[in-house]
Amino acid sequence: MADSDGEYIEASDDEYMGGGGSYGTRGHGKGKKGQRGDGRAKNAWELSAKTGLESYKESADGTIGKSIQEREEERKRKRWLVNTMLDAVKMPRRRRSVDLSIYERDPEPGIDYTMLPSLPYRTVSDPPVPRAVLLRKWLRKDTKAFQRGIIRHVVLVLDLSEAMLEKDMRPNRYFTMIKYTQEYVREFFEQNPISQMCVMGMHDGICIRVSELSGNPADHISAIQGLRDPKSSTSKEPKGSPSLQNALEVSRATLYHTPSHGTREVILVLGALLTLDPGDIHKTIKSCVQDRIRVSIIGMGGRMHICTEIVSRTNSGDESGYVVATDQELLRELLLATTTPPVIRSSVPTTDGAAAPAESGASLLQMGFPSRVIEDVPTLCACHGNLTRGGYTCSRCKAKVCSLPATCPGCHLTLILSTHLARSYHHLFPLRNWIEVSWQRAREKGSKQCMSCLSDFPEPPSSHTENAAESLTSAANGAVAAATSHIIAANGRQRSGDDSNEDELATASESFRYECRECKSHFCIDCDVFCHEVLHNCPGCLGGAGTRNDEESADTEMNG
Amino acid sequence: MNAIDGTDRHIKSTDGPPPSLLTIILDTNPFAWAHLSSILPLSSVVANLLVFINAHLASGNANEVAVIASHNKRTAWLYPTPAPVSAHNTNGDSSSRNGAATHTQNANKYQPFAEVETNLLFNLDNLLKTTTSDDLSTTTTQIAGALSTALSYISKSTIRHSPVDPTLLESHALVIDDGNLTSQRVNLVSRILVLSVSGDLASQYIPVMNAIFAAQRQRIPIDILKLAGDTVLLQQACDATGGIYMAPESPQGLLQYLMMAFLPDATARKWLVLPSAGSVDFRAACFCHRNVVDIGFVCSVCLSIFCSPNLPDSTCLTCSSVLSLGGAITAAPALIPRKKKKRKRVAGDGSTPGGSATPLPGNGTPVHP
Amino acid sequence: MSASTSQALDYLEGQTQITHQKLYEQPSTALAVFRCMLPHLAKTIVMAMLYMPRAFTIGDLDHWIRANSKGEREKAISVLQSLHIITHSQESSKSLSYRLESGFANSLRQALTGGGNHKSFGVPSSTPDKNDVDIAFLDQFARKQWEAILYFMVGSTSGLRDSTGLGETVGNGTRKLLEIGDFVTRANHGTITKTGFTFLLQEANAQVWSLLIVYLKQAPELGMNEVDVLSFIFMLGSLSLGQDYSTATLSPTQLQMLEDLNDFGIVYRSSKTSSRFYPTRLATTLTSDAGALQTTSTTFSNALRPSTAPGKGYIIVETNYRIYAYTSSHLQIAVLSLFARLSSRFPNLVSGKLTKDSIQRAIKLGIEARQIIDYLTAHAHPQMQKNNPVLPPTVMDQIRLWEYEGERIEATHGHLMKDFSSEKEYQDTLGYAESLGVLTWKSDQKRVFFVDRLEQISAYLVSKKEKR
Repeated sequence: MADSDGEYIEASDDEYMGGGGSYGTRGHGKGKKGQRGDGRAKNAWELSAKTGLESYKESADGTIGKSIQEREEERKRKRWLVNTMLDAVKMPRRRRSVDLSIYERDPEPGIDYTMLPSLPYRTVSDPPVPRAVLLRKWLRKDTKAFQRGIIRHVVLVLDLSEAMLEKDMRPNRYFTMIKYTQEYVREFFEQNPISQMCVMGMHDGICIRVSELSGNPADHISAIQGLRDPKSSTSKEPKGSPSLQNALEVSRATLYHTPSHGTREVILVLGALLTLDPGDIHKTIKSCVQDRIRVSIIGMGGRMHICTEIVSRTNSGDESGYVVATDQELLRELLLATTTPPVIRSSVPTTDGAAAPAESGASLLQMGFPSRVIEDVPTLCACHGNLTRGGYTCSRCKAKVCSLPATCPGCHLTLILSTHLARSYHHLFPLRNWIEVSWQRAREKGSKQCMSCLSDFPEPPSSHTENAAESLTSAANGAVAAATSHIIAANGRQRSGDDSNEDELATASESFRYECRECKSHFCIDCDVFCHEVLHNCPGCLGGAGTRNDEESADTEMNG
Repeated sequence: MNAIDGTDRHIKSTDGPPPSLLTIILDTNPFAWAHLSSILPLSSVVANLLVFINAHLASGNANEVAVIASHNKRTAWLYPTPAPVSAHNTNGDSSSRNGAATHTQNANKYQPFAEVETNLLFNLDNLLKTTTSDDLSTTTTQIAGALSTALSYISKSTIRHSPVDPTLLESHALVIDDGNLTSQRVNLVSRILVLSVSGDLASQYIPVMNAIFAAQRQRIPIDILKLAGDTVLLQQACDATGGIYMAPESPQGLLQYLMMAFLPDATARKWLVLPSAGSVDFRAACFCHRNVVDIGFVCSVCLSIFCSPNLPDSTCLTCSSVLSLGGAITAAPALIPRKKKKRKRVAGDGSTPGGSATPLPGNGTPVHP
Repeated sequence: MSASTSQALDYLEGQTQITHQKLYEQPSTALAVFRCMLPHLAKTIVMAMLYMPRAFTIGDLDHWIRANSKGEREKAISVLQSLHIITHSQESSKSLSYRLESGFANSLRQALTGGGNHKSFGVPSSTPDKNDVDIAFLDQFARKQWEAILYFMVGSTSGLRDSTGLGETVGNGTRKLLEIGDFVTRANHGTITKTGFTFLLQEANAQVWSLLIVYLKQAPELGMNEVDVLSFIFMLGSLSLGQDYSTATLSPTQLQMLEDLNDFGIVYRSSKTSSRFYPTRLATTLTSDAGALQTTSTTFSNALRPSTAPGKGYIIVETNYRIYAYTSSHLQIAVLSLFARLSSRFPNLVSGKLTKDSIQRAIKLGIEARQIIDYLTAHAHPQMQKNNPVLPPTVMDQIRLWEYEGERIEATHGHLMKDFSSEKEYQDTLGYAESLGVLTWKSDQKRVFFVDRLEQISAYLVSKKEKR
């Protein structure tokens, strides 16, 4: 057991360092997963290893005897697997030094250390990664237009057990969690304005409800604040043990009646390394799967096998929803990472053969887009019965509500601002990643300035110096990437080819230029980051650069 | 002794207002200007705009300006002048660039003003000259592109001006020489002014919305001066970003509008009563016919808005998902009674927050109606 | 408006209306006054009024400016009035209104539109210079000249003057000027004074202004026309660096000035008879803040700081009061030695310690704790600049505490307001003074309060009396 552990960690570490800062690439990912699978074959807990890995193994070596349909299926799976892996890679946003050696030194029996670092941490000895690479890494979210669950129903379960009194975060885990959760709620509704949320706490063996399922962030924030405010009647000091089963059952009950077109998610923040359950948690997991509830868990301190199982089974074999925060910064990042709407899977093959209902019953929802009115005389609002001077009138029954989004109290029409809908569009129509530009390509294009911010690019070196640079071993990696990117750039819009290669190119561009594949404009790294993180537009495409006319680019906007 | 506490430790390096970057987006849509020419020709607008720019530059010593033209099919930089994109004939380029940048020193003009004027007029002239009949096939303007460019430019300028952040110092050194970084510790305040003459921007709904949210996040107000045409979209942009929306009744007095309402920067706006937009039209445009609707049908998968529930083959026009029409009518009303029930149930829970919160089979799950 | 130009503003406010009117005849001067003398809100008001067809009534102004920024408004209006940029006028029977002074308005409009033929923004030389000079040369020249002046001043205390011959290049005119300005005293071979220390620790821009104002005050004695001198200074501020300008259009007074300014390092002339002059960076930044330098030139980050590498800080202060200064400049070492106990010196490094004795010695010399902190902050090493706050808080607090030890009493110049007829009147006036921010002390019991500026209060009282 100890051997295999050590082997695994070493392997992952090597892989990481060998990757030269290009972790999260698909090629490496395969190797890593494969190794892990092989290593696991010896272990007792292999029994519960999930199908995701098996099917991955298949995809790695299964080139023979597959029907076309199967291959198609596999291709799809690969896409989301890569995607979810990338999501995991995206999370450690900064370099951190995590000493993995302690895990190799004293493997305690009974605790599953093999499950430990699935995130590619950087260790102290690693060479520093250039900033541009780091910046680009952040950006490596998948830019393919996945169907995402925009209308989400989320139960956020907080651990209020005594494990939260640990002081490995400052001042302790509990206060840290409360602080970040408030920020999280705000960000969540910023990103998912038409979603619903409910907050619960695992306290002394039972699961308590902190706030109701609602779409109003202020409710949740004040409820969470009330948890730690000693004057508040709802104040809760961390106590006792958590119960995952109770938490899941209550969450399931809460989400049971949510409409089928939305997602049902449970996000657990778990500080304890144990769960004290009244019954068989596996039955609960099974019923969660049947109710198509997806669970993601953010742990602290260490990994627990049962968590892996919960996450893996409720996410059809994908374990990337289980992450462990080693410090408070990471906790914050991991929390915020869950604000991105989850990818919808078309059909979910379950291990136990139970036919899961369709993940998403797409439907057409009737919604009202009311206009704001400003009145000279205060009138009663229909939602709270308060006197207000302005508000929004329901487009159907003309009842006045004070804030949006809301459901009309008169006619039950969902009232929403079109801006709320628009806020989610960039998840649906993401901006495609830009590619690195080789010196050769830069010379060809003759770009001197960033297209959007007009900052100067460095001049391309003369060709023979470039060749000299390429012959250097240190530059070999970059040159390969650059060459690949050049080929891609030359190939133009070969969509499928591009897509498969897209993710492997998360390196800095040698010429400090980044090229949009649609309009062929060149941008600097800061604009690359800004356009993908904040703006979600390509100034070049929209500004009519390149040969495409705007109808086409509008289509691209829509279809991704 | 009272002076010794943490409050006055943060010594401000400058006591003046922070430098302000004004990005002007000039809508140069030839159709709209042809329409307006009898009331207000483009030439006089540009002349007024130049006075306005000079006034802005004079208002703060470190103030900056950037001007982008939003033309029919493309956006173009009017100021600063971009370097020409062509590597092959450098000689020809440098001459044309010099044509834009150099100007005879005029003893009657303040140097920075003269520089902006020469560049702006040169680039505008260039833009209008290179407009071909092919460009005129569309009648709208590339406002989304112009906004995106402006926002990127502002974001970069902000990075350039930002106070030194230890975590970013090493990283930004790539693009910024450190001399700038260490010495200047004031933040740049930016805003965007759109001089809009075209209506009908519904085709650019998504990119414009993205730009609006980006501006909102960066706290960049978007001011709109609407000379002609009308669009809900730009009004929403003002509303969301806290900018000023104005549609002057007499466009001839343009300069006074500019000077009075749009010149004050963020610092001065704190002290002033700003013109308010009044009621804003928040209605959305449907994706199928670009109709403005107040009750629409929304695809639950891609959030596309349609004006009628009768879609061909019951599939979403944008994402091709098969949509159940029944949901459109029943889903919303069905949701509410359940929610209400739940609330009651929890009210009961709240009184006894003990064991009943732990779900027991058949207890924690309300009955499905 | 920055600290560096506030003294110029004080000077300008002291001038008569006729002087102002003459000054505003030149568009460059009008623009320069607008750009660097006015508070931000005043600029906004001027710009709003510039193209307004009719006068701006007080009622409209009240509507336009938020009620809670009254203090700002009063400040802006009072500056505008004291500079004679706006005037009161009785538009109709009931409404008072403000008007822009027509001369100023015309000049400013001309400056903004670039019209007219006033040639006030400097006439460039038509012929190319045979011995052309570049910007680097100008910077070096300016720095050499200016540092010579600073050396001259500081040399007296640090005892460096005799050994290094510093400050010997300073001309007699400049020496006299420094004496007149009370920066040094003639007694005891020119010792630096209290004001001199204040001068020394200012940033370069403010130093230039201080010197120029002394120069201005002295101008009538030298038979120079004050208005000519002022408008020339403002014109210099609007010139561009590296461009040569012709002396052909200058008045005799201004030609005379050129020589002196050449001594200061503000302009450069190859010879006294040359028909062209180059403004240096000291000149072109006269009417702008330090921030403007970033935009006008990316290579230089600040006006000639008296440092070896311009724009680079060199001082590191540790929490244990030790300071390390990476410098070999005598001037910088001399300045540091004013308030620090320097212990060892290496080719490129001086180290020392801030002690109670050293700080209190400096304070006895008339240097304020604030100045020391500002100086250390402004010249902090780039490594230090990353911190926020730049200096360790303990050190900042301790420097201030050391200062307070000697300062049990604080003196403020101002006026005592007393003998109010009623509680209401007292409260009313008090409230007004408070909103202006001029109130320093009050006693509700005795119905007296103390203000450090009287002008606006008296105007307020007069207007109240009129209303009644």
